[in-house]
Amino acid sequence: MILDTVQTLLNGLRRSLAQPSRTPRMAVVIGRLLAIAFLLCFGTGIYSHFLQDPLPWMVFTTRPVFLYQLTQGVHITAGILCFPLLLAKLYIVFPQLFQTPSVKSFPHLLERASIALFVSASIVQIVTGLLNTYQWYALFPFPFRQTHYALSFVIIGSLAIHIAVKLDVIAKHWRKRDSVLLDESAPLAEPVEAPQREGAGASTGSANAGAAASDGRRNPLTSSPVKNAVDRVEGVTGRVFVWIDKTPPAEPRTSRRGFLAVVGVMSAAVVALTAGQSFRVLDGSNLFGPRKQGVGPNDLPVNRTAAAAKVEKSATAPEWVLTVSNGSTTTSYSRAELLAMPQHVVELPIACVEGWSQTATWKGVRVGDLVDRVGASGGVTVRATSLEQNSSYAVMRMGPEYVRDDLTLVALELNGETLDLDHGFPARMIAPGRPGVLQTKWLSTLEVL
Amino acid sequence: MTSTAVSPAIRRWRIGLLVAGLALLALGGVVLLNDVNPKRYLGLAAWFLGALIIHDGIISFGVFGVNIAMRKAGRRVPLPVLLILQGAAVVGALMALVVVPEIMKKSIGTGNATLLPLDYAGNLGWFYLALAVVTAAAIAVYLAVAKARRASAGTAQGE
Repeated sequence: MILDTVQTLLNGLRRSLAQPSRTPRMAVVIGRLLAIAFLLCFGTGIYSHFLQDPLPWMVFTTRPVFLYQLTQGVHITAGILCFPLLLAKLYIVFPQLFQTPSVKSFPHLLERASIALFVSASIVQIVTGLLNTYQWYALFPFPFRQTHYALSFVIIGSLAIHIAVKLDVIAKHWRKRDSVLLDESAPLAEPVEAPQREGAGASTGSANAGAAASDGRRNPLTSSPVKNAVDRVEGVTGRVFVWIDKTPPAEPRTSRRGFLAVVGVMSAAVVALTAGQSFRVLDGSNLFGPRKQGVGPNDLPVNRTAAAAKVEKSATAPEWVLTVSNGSTTTSYSRAELLAMPQHVVELPIACVEGWSQTATWKGVRVGDLVDRVGASGGVTVRATSLEQNSSYAVMRMGPEYVRDDLTLVALELNGETLDLDHGFPARMIAPGRPGVLQTKWLSTLEVL
Repeated sequence: MTSTAVSPAIRRWRIGLLVAGLALLALGGVVLLNDVNPKRYLGLAAWFLGALIIHDGIISFGVFGVNIAMRKAGRRVPLPVLLILQGAAVVGALMALVVVPEIMKKSIGTGNATLLPLDYAGNLGWFYLALAVVTAAAIAVYLAVAKARRASAGTAQGE
């Protein structure tokens, strides 16, 4: 009896939720876009991860200099784009939540469990990703970076399983011309027989609810009170379903076009109004990005301040020196001595892992010149140490592709001014194509390894 | 999984995707076990469960209710006009979803002045104003076009 009651309720819900936009074709159209967005996020995220934690054999390209600015900008923008696309996809398939029987077999149970994992992991991933760009870490009872990395595999794995399970449906509805006839006759929810209700003179607009038109027949009483209530329009349950069934139907073509238009407008809006934090061309429409280009000391945003890094005293101490060593050969430079060395000016973007980026003018000493002076030759790896405390980024390794690049500097000036304390005074690293967290600020030592 | 017959190509792709998917899931599990302290698992599980409850239990039914209510309330309103209004409401809601946490975090305070530097509440107000203007304009254009079509259909019938 309980199963019968649940099944009646689930059938009623699925029928009521049927909409012209909830078709397999629409699920494929939006699903494709969402899969592309997820894969873009995954690919760019993995690239960012290995830039920060490279495997021993990894060598990275330093050109184009805007490569990381581009990949991480795409990562964050595609992540924001996932909000409208994921919500649209979940809207389309929502009636599937109430399929009956809820579990048909063990493989079906696994399939439903994998979808639940996929949906919740995706929501958690994009919501925490967004909140991370606001640096609202207090909301997470887990470490962001490690969890974000692990969930990326869970999501792409679940995506692959989901595609595998739905592959025949996807193939049938991949092309519009193959899909149209199928969609007209088979909405996303499998046909559910509508009960014959007294007084239910209109339909929900679902493909099947038209059968609910009253023909004066009364269904016989069953052992299920809910089924009786729904079928005979009794009590709250029955009246709610009839109230829904009487809703004027939506015209399918207009409704589908409207749905796609709304998804398009939402996607365009979230991108246009936030992506200016990463892409200068959209800076003028950046109303909601968590960073604004040109805002900050030296006309550049700051990620971690000197106060947060607890370097205000050590970085401004008159006795500060940059120590460069190669084995037993060690040389120390005051800031004045560094300024007296040959200076080079480079245009390089600073691109944060949080997605914001901005190109700036940096002036300072080539890292290659500094390591040459302590006798290093050829391709060498350098370990840079910051004055900052309690940071996993206080020590940074830099491979030879960066060390020997003419654009890699120990920067002393930024945008024509002395490097601001929050940007790494007295000296910081700047190299092409690396995440901001590896552009070590408040340098203390450089060691040739 | 559907039980209908599938082509050999689809079967091969399906097996390949399932194997790759399961391997990636296992890798994700291993990374989680290695990199995240087990003390954090309960909090993560709460987020997972909360995500499902908030989406499937609250947002989806809220959208469903609003959709039904608008169609009920707008019995005599042309469907395209209702769709434009519904679309505007959805766009507004999504933007609130993205921007309201930003406003809240800004009001709590940020690590430095360059993080969340804009007037997000004010900008959201401007955005809603623009959305209202665009929505009204879209409805006006639709009604004018529909009226012109009716008039031209009437003229054609009269000829």
